[in-house]
Amino acid sequence: MKSYFELFGITPAQLRAVVEEGLKGGNWCDLYFEQTVYNDLLLRDGVVASGGFHFDYGCGIRVLSGEKTGYAYSESTDIQSLMDAARAATSIGGNCGRIGTPAIKTVPPEIYSMQLEWGQADKHALAAWLERLESAIRARESRVAKVIAMLSWSESEILMYNSLDELSSDSRPLGNVTVTIIFAHEGRTEQRSVSRSFRCGSEMLTDTLIDELAAEAVAGLDDSFAARRPKGGRMPVVMAAGASGILLHEAMGHAFEADFNRKGQSIFCDRMGKRICRRGINIIDDGTIPGNRGSIRYDDEGVPGQKTYMVSDGVLTSYLHDRISAGFYGVSPTGNGRRESFRYNPIPRMRTTYMESGSDGTLDDLIASVRKGVYVDKFANGEVRIGEGDFTFYVNRGYLIENGRLTMPVKDINIIGNGPQALADIEAVAGDLKIDNGTWTCGKEQSVAVSCGIPSVLIKNLTVGGE
Amino acid sequence: MINAEEIRLAKESLEYALAHGAGAVRITLTKSTEDLVATLDGEVDKVTRCADRSMSIALFVDGRFGSFSINKLERSALEDFISKAIETVRMLSPDSFRKLPDPARCCRTAVSGREMEIYDPAYSAVTPEKRRQAALDAAVFGKEFEGARLVSEEGEYSDSEYDTYVIDSQGLECRHTETSFDYGVEVTVEDAEGNKYSDYWWTASPRLESFDASQCGLTAVRRACAQIGSSPAPSGKYNMVVRAEAASRLVSPILNALNAYSIQQGNSFLVDSEGKQVFSPGFSVLDEPWRKGESGAKLFDGEGVATAPAPIIDEGVVRRYFVNTYMSGKLGVAPTVEDAIRPRVCGWPSPGLDEAALMKMCGNGILVTDFNGGNCNMTTGDFSYGIAGQLFEDGKPVRPVSEMLVTGNFLTLWKNLTAIGEDWRRCATKLIGALAFSAVDFSG
Repeated sequence: MKSYFELFGITPAQLRAVVEEGLKGGNWCDLYFEQTVYNDLLLRDGVVASGGFHFDYGCGIRVLSGEKTGYAYSESTDIQSLMDAARAATSIGGNCGRIGTPAIKTVPPEIYSMQLEWGQADKHALAAWLERLESAIRARESRVAKVIAMLSWSESEILMYNSLDELSSDSRPLGNVTVTIIFAHEGRTEQRSVSRSFRCGSEMLTDTLIDELAAEAVAGLDDSFAARRPKGGRMPVVMAAGASGILLHEAMGHAFEADFNRKGQSIFCDRMGKRICRRGINIIDDGTIPGNRGSIRYDDEGVPGQKTYMVSDGVLTSYLHDRISAGFYGVSPTGNGRRESFRYNPIPRMRTTYMESGSDGTLDDLIASVRKGVYVDKFANGEVRIGEGDFTFYVNRGYLIENGRLTMPVKDINIIGNGPQALADIEAVAGDLKIDNGTWTCGKEQSVAVSCGIPSVLIKNLTVGGE
Repeated sequence: MINAEEIRLAKESLEYALAHGAGAVRITLTKSTEDLVATLDGEVDKVTRCADRSMSIALFVDGRFGSFSINKLERSALEDFISKAIETVRMLSPDSFRKLPDPARCCRTAVSGREMEIYDPAYSAVTPEKRRQAALDAAVFGKEFEGARLVSEEGEYSDSEYDTYVIDSQGLECRHTETSFDYGVEVTVEDAEGNKYSDYWWTASPRLESFDASQCGLTAVRRACAQIGSSPAPSGKYNMVVRAEAASRLVSPILNALNAYSIQQGNSFLVDSEGKQVFSPGFSVLDEPWRKGESGAKLFDGEGVATAPAPIIDEGVVRRYFVNTYMSGKLGVAPTVEDAIRPRVCGWPSPGLDEAALMKMCGNGILVTDFNGGNCNMTTGDFSYGIAGQLFEDGKPVRPVSEMLVTGNFLTLWKNLTAIGEDWRRCATKLIGALAFSAVDFSG
């Protein structure tokens, strides 16, 4: 812990003094010190000729009075600046004293695999890796017109302290590779994006990853050029294992975030303990998968990362809690209090959201069971209206299903449904759970890194956009 | 506001970079403060105080380029930072097109930062108590509404001050300051059957005297209540009227597709469109960056290049790509500005039309009041968006619709334009009124 005190130029006594100042305006105070260095290298037009780094440093101070929040931050961590920020945060006013829900008293295991620190990496070698990635893509496909490849990585040093005298720290790496490829063929163009993100060091940049990304970038390209818009309307949808986890994130995960429920906004706010989908379905939000983009050793309130069953055997069993909602509901925080940076107060956020494998056979079985519908496997983005539960996600790639077989390729369609109804309409869950390792980012008020996964599922009825 | 010491620090950083190997440098110093009071169900729920400073440095070293930023504005930290940044740039590949803009194109008129008259000195007189009161005054929780119960209201009042100071090693020095007073509210209402409907409304003004949040809560509740009993309409082709507040979703992809980065990479459905009739003759967009007193007005872009009023699309003909200095070299075309600063979509076929007039012109169709997710393929212009709105007949709304999708291609859609209103909101930075199109595919 000593190095963190040195990094932020603060002593334990000063931490306590700032918290005491905060407690003059509330009954909880916590401090979140952060130093993050973001780096990027960009390959465009065949060369890595752009790059940089960005240094962000500061401390956020939160004072709670019951469920009410006072928040301020300082980009300087000298004691005077911190005391000023603490006083600004006390402006929420109200109950004083010292309360709060203690975090689970365990030291979480190391879940970030940092074999080669990014800071020690040779930038020439990183640039060369990007160049090899482009070469591998071009070697597989002659219709490549342009390749834009971005390698970015960040290292965050975080120190947290609160009015329960809990002190925790985290050192979070995050590496991202995103490749956008423009293909040209007989006067037509197509665009693909593939990505990977892991909480690890530069050891992620292997030849195996190059092969994986290159293969994914060009897979099924003929079908993409041939793809058309389907006839739109309501129909069964088979969602492939992996990235289809966006369904869980948008349709269910947000509605299970406890702040939306505490405020009576979520369509699930009166469904705790009730059956919301068929038996056998388990939906999880997990911060403990080693190296995963959504994993966090501690959340941004100093609560150890956890694996949280939101739906067990079809029954809603837990919301996703920060300390505020945990206090409100009288439960332990689930380690979902997350924030974009020290500039933001933490709120309930997902980590890696997925459904456990089912026992309804294979993807092929699911497809074979559909007379007329669509199969989807590549996605861009999604959104949800919390009150109504209406969610959408954008499909980059899929196929029509006709008489149990994949036929015409389709692309660029949005799919819309209603969360509770879609959950109830899950007819089959295959046994092929896959976590997607793309660069998923959730944008609820603040941007945080997340991930998702799902086994192949069949949903009886969703609305598919089309002609 | 950026003070003399911070300006000195910026100038010293520029000199330091030049003295340590940079051939050219641009430094952008930004500083902002924001105070926010959030309410939940009519009570103060959150108070925040934000104060940010940051220095961004664009470095041109030995024919190479890198961009960097830091928020620790202390001289010793900055010198170490710049030295490391120069080292990093030297590891990149050379790029002969990277250079500062021609000084003749750069802004010389943004001296005080207040030329656009969007800085309100009254900002500094706003007290914490006034902020609290503004937030509480705007709340409507507890009021009775016909046909629905307001179950949740989250409001946010904020006021902020932004200051930007840009210098480069060719003598550029310009500044932009603005204030903003904002209120946004999200409500959830419940009908008699317990179904929930949510919606939002917001307002903003650069000046306190013209800031009025009194109708925001009521408007949000009215919008939420308008969705009660909504269900999908049958799939098919409909006339589509898009409410002004939602219309940006159909204009922004066009502005993005005109960006030279997308053009140069072939990642745009408007490649090779400059000077060509691509859209309906009724579609004209002007960039009006010099509208004094209005949000978004600005005298220079991110490179310090002077902005100017200019047509972007004129009667359906593409007149302008957004080309910065780098892309100008890569594409071999004349530079313009980096982006649309304050675009205005002109009314058509006659001025002064609004949403009601457009629905009347269309007769029957679907009024889109909000989009829900969706995306656009930038290489082809294909799009698909979720929508909520109203089915209308004989120009009048007849029932709410939701859980529907609108799907098409931007080039086709804008050829099927039938009318453009001028009922935009002045608080928006893009002035876009209601839009009407024919023969649009809806799925329900």
